[in-house]
Amino acid sequence: MRVHLPAVNHGLMDPAPAQYTIRIRGHLGATLLSAFPALASREHGACTVLTGLLDRSALYGVLAEIEALGLDLLEVHQVRPDRESPESGDRRSP
Amino acid sequence: MLGGRASVRSRYQGRPVTVAQTTPGLINRGDLLAALDRAAAGKVTIISAPAGSGKTSLLRAWADRQGEQHRLAVVQVQRDQQDAQQFCLALLGAVRRATGAFSGAGPQPATPEFNAQAMADKVLAELAEARGDITLVIDDLHELTSPEALGQLTRLLTNLPPHAHAVLTSRRDVPRLRLHRLRLAGELTEIRAADLRFSERETRELLEASGIALSAAGAALLHQRTEGWAAGLRLAAISLASHPDPERFVAEFSGSDRTVAEYLVDEMLDRQPAEIQDLLLRTCLLDRVNGELADLLTGRPGSERILLELEDANAFVLSLDPERTWFRYHHLFADLLRLELRRRMPEETPALHRRAAGWFTRHGQVVDAIRHTEAAGDWPAAARLLADHTFSLTLDGQAQTMQALVRAFPPGVDHPELALVRTAGDLVQGRLDEAAAHLAVAEAHVEAAPPDRQRRLRVAVAALKLSLARRRGHLAGVLEQVRFLDSPVTGPSDEDIALGSDLRAVALMNLGAAEAWSLGLRDAERHLQEGADLAREIGRPYLEVGCLAQLGFASKIDPFAITQRRCREAIALAERYGWGTEPVIAPALVTLAGTMVWTGEFDEAERWLQRTAQALQTDTGPDIRLLMHHTTGILRACRGRHDEALEEFSAADSLRSQLEGSHAIANQVTGWLLASQARAGLPGEALAALAALDDERAGSGEIRNARAVICLEERDPAGALGAVREVLDGTAPVIGYVTLVEAHLLAGLAHRELGDQHAANQAAERALGLAEQDRLVLPFAITGSRELLKTLPRHETAHAALLADLLDVLHGSSPPVKDRSSSPPAEELSPGELRVLRFLPTNLSRPEIAGELSVSVNTVNTHVRSIYAKLQVRDRSSAVQRARELRLLSAGLTR
Repeated sequence: MRVHLPAVNHGLMDPAPAQYTIRIRGHLGATLLSAFPALASREHGACTVLTGLLDRSALYGVLAEIEALGLDLLEVHQVRPDRESPESGDRRSP
Repeated sequence: MLGGRASVRSRYQGRPVTVAQTTPGLINRGDLLAALDRAAAGKVTIISAPAGSGKTSLLRAWADRQGEQHRLAVVQVQRDQQDAQQFCLALLGAVRRATGAFSGAGPQPATPEFNAQAMADKVLAELAEARGDITLVIDDLHELTSPEALGQLTRLLTNLPPHAHAVLTSRRDVPRLRLHRLRLAGELTEIRAADLRFSERETRELLEASGIALSAAGAALLHQRTEGWAAGLRLAAISLASHPDPERFVAEFSGSDRTVAEYLVDEMLDRQPAEIQDLLLRTCLLDRVNGELADLLTGRPGSERILLELEDANAFVLSLDPERTWFRYHHLFADLLRLELRRRMPEETPALHRRAAGWFTRHGQVVDAIRHTEAAGDWPAAARLLADHTFSLTLDGQAQTMQALVRAFPPGVDHPELALVRTAGDLVQGRLDEAAAHLAVAEAHVEAAPPDRQRRLRVAVAALKLSLARRRGHLAGVLEQVRFLDSPVTGPSDEDIALGSDLRAVALMNLGAAEAWSLGLRDAERHLQEGADLAREIGRPYLEVGCLAQLGFASKIDPFAITQRRCREAIALAERYGWGTEPVIAPALVTLAGTMVWTGEFDEAERWLQRTAQALQTDTGPDIRLLMHHTTGILRACRGRHDEALEEFSAADSLRSQLEGSHAIANQVTGWLLASQARAGLPGEALAALAALDDERAGSGEIRNARAVICLEERDPAGALGAVREVLDGTAPVIGYVTLVEAHLLAGLAHRELGDQHAANQAAERALGLAEQDRLVLPFAITGSRELLKTLPRHETAHAALLADLLDVLHGSSPPVKDRSSSPPAEELSPGELRVLRFLPTNLSRPEIAGELSVSVNTVNTHVRSIYAKLQVRDRSSAVQRARELRLLSAGLTR
């Protein structure tokens, strides 16, 4: 039913989701982990590492949540195991 | 542990109250306060630090220390503030409260069309007028998401008057707030997370102030574990206060790798009585809570007492008003509680939202009601609420919030009624094609809607159609809707009737405006007057001003005095509400400017047109912009600036082509565009454009006049005479008699060119005769008829006074000032005296005047004596001067 109106294309969109790891200081308990249902978590030393397949808006949603909950963000890292550069858009099978 | 304590009110919320006792857990952070004092003495201070760093506490403590003579204007930015207007109104209200500038009119009402820049100027003006120091305090700036509001805030902060300061808090830097100029000028001070951290000494003081006995080593450990993070220390203090073994608590906390906030919130919650835990969890999903609402969500009475105690215990609960009836939780605390709520009682969360939505609906808090309905996942109900309140939310200036609520719908659960809401948003922004597409979707849905929804949806669709059709100047589309909207407003509840009245007043305004545009002027006046009356009745000043502004436009065929009076009345009312340069008043502004162009008051017209342009900054609708460009074009053409006129008329003509159906003044726009092309030295282009018009348009008086102008520019006076022949003999249709006056003048110019001075004089005299009534200057100016008038012998004209005025204006000087207030009002002259009066500016003697008027010399003498007495003058020249001041020399204004 939604009427499609011309979308603004800033030429910056990266539509393909990518694998991210996000490192946060401290161990997250059940309450805090429930804020990131789409991400897997593991403890690594005194840190928590969250991983998951995120597109751009999902990534920024997670970062906003981290900020809102006053968490200490240490690192955000994109992992591209089985892909060429994103521009080629051409996926190789493993 | 959260025992009752005497309330401590803060000056922060606007009411200065001496803080007699120390709030538990709040220590006097002297160094930090001194740092803020130093910073705040400068222009702008930003406290930028993550959640829980103690920004708001610092701000409150600082505010309470300020003396009475230092005024504070405090604005708390609401969560996810999308509407620039809501923020700006809060800002203006806070400044007015701080300066005591609140007039009896009450707070500034919202408008669906909003000019953020004008509002920022208003805030600056109020600040400039404030005597003594005044500080703007803006808390939670990161919640402000409106780019427009951030843009205006930047302007405001960089233009603060010398005695005004600003202190802002934000969780993160806000790059859209462009303060580099202030930074370069050394006028920006930043207080950041590191500055806000508690020192070890402050940690010990905090513990002492909370009555906690902890060893020095324990305090050091706690400081180390929390890294001086304010929220962590305060949470720890709450748990420690009731802990049997504080040292053990700190040791366990220190040994844990869990994040500080989660660990401490868990601890704190676990130590609360079940009743308080339950209240915190069940109410944390509200952005603000009061006792009644909390009772409803917990199913128990007594919540208000608990909330008051929590605030007194400094336990992350803040009151929002001086009466302490509304509270909010510290944002970080609330976010953690919300996670906990979803984890502990996931099945209850939607029900809590639903109950909150019900309460907000019953209390007319529509936006909160919709937010909670959406959060409950009741999407069809949320869509209905949005559709039902589209008009009231738009009128309340919450269009952006409304669109954000629409965007919150997940893909796949879109509801056809949302198309109504999208249409309203498009209309506010002037996106007419998008509005039409959305409206078509909404209309298609009406038939499929359940019977109990159909009537309301039909009314809403009709009202939006009216609005769209009006903006497109397409009356046929509007009239179809009229019968339907004429039915009386009835409904099962008061709310229904109120919503119905909003709808009806909007409809009357749009209907009247559409009628005015298609020259159904009497109907327009009737509908607009009814709309204005209804709007006043239901307390919708925006609609009242809107109807009266359109009424000014609709009365454009009335005598100019009436048109001007109506426009000025509408403008005065708009100014009372602070809308003097808003789009809503633009029709009155541009109409007033128009009447002044027509009567030759060019400088004054220029000022009103500038104000129109200012008012239309945010409005992209073609109808009103057309009028503005058209009027500006006429003014430029009257002043002989044909290149500029051409630009304006071209803009008007291209807007005309965007409007559906034929437009009332379409031929005038096109006619003067062609004439301007010819006069600007582009007769070829003008001829080509002329050839492209269909026969019906080419046959109109306005286009025939344009053809005559082209002929005159091409040195073809005979062709010009041919062109205007059917205008002069009355066979060509014309919009108004101005076309006829213009035709006479063009004929006069053509006769002059042909060397027939007698015919030229006759034509000029006829033009003067027609123009006398309204004292029209426009056609003489736009045709450049100065030479034609100059060669007209004074004794050959019965319109010597108008002629003298015209030559004044065309020579570039201002017309006589109509300042009726500076001299005593004159006793009214009789018609006979007026007839004689009009000959006084000529060089005719009294017997000659008697001859002209076919009366005796004695009669003329009697009239002259009487005129002198009534005008309180002694001779003929001062009589003429006084008569000019009173504008008695032209008949039009004395009827």
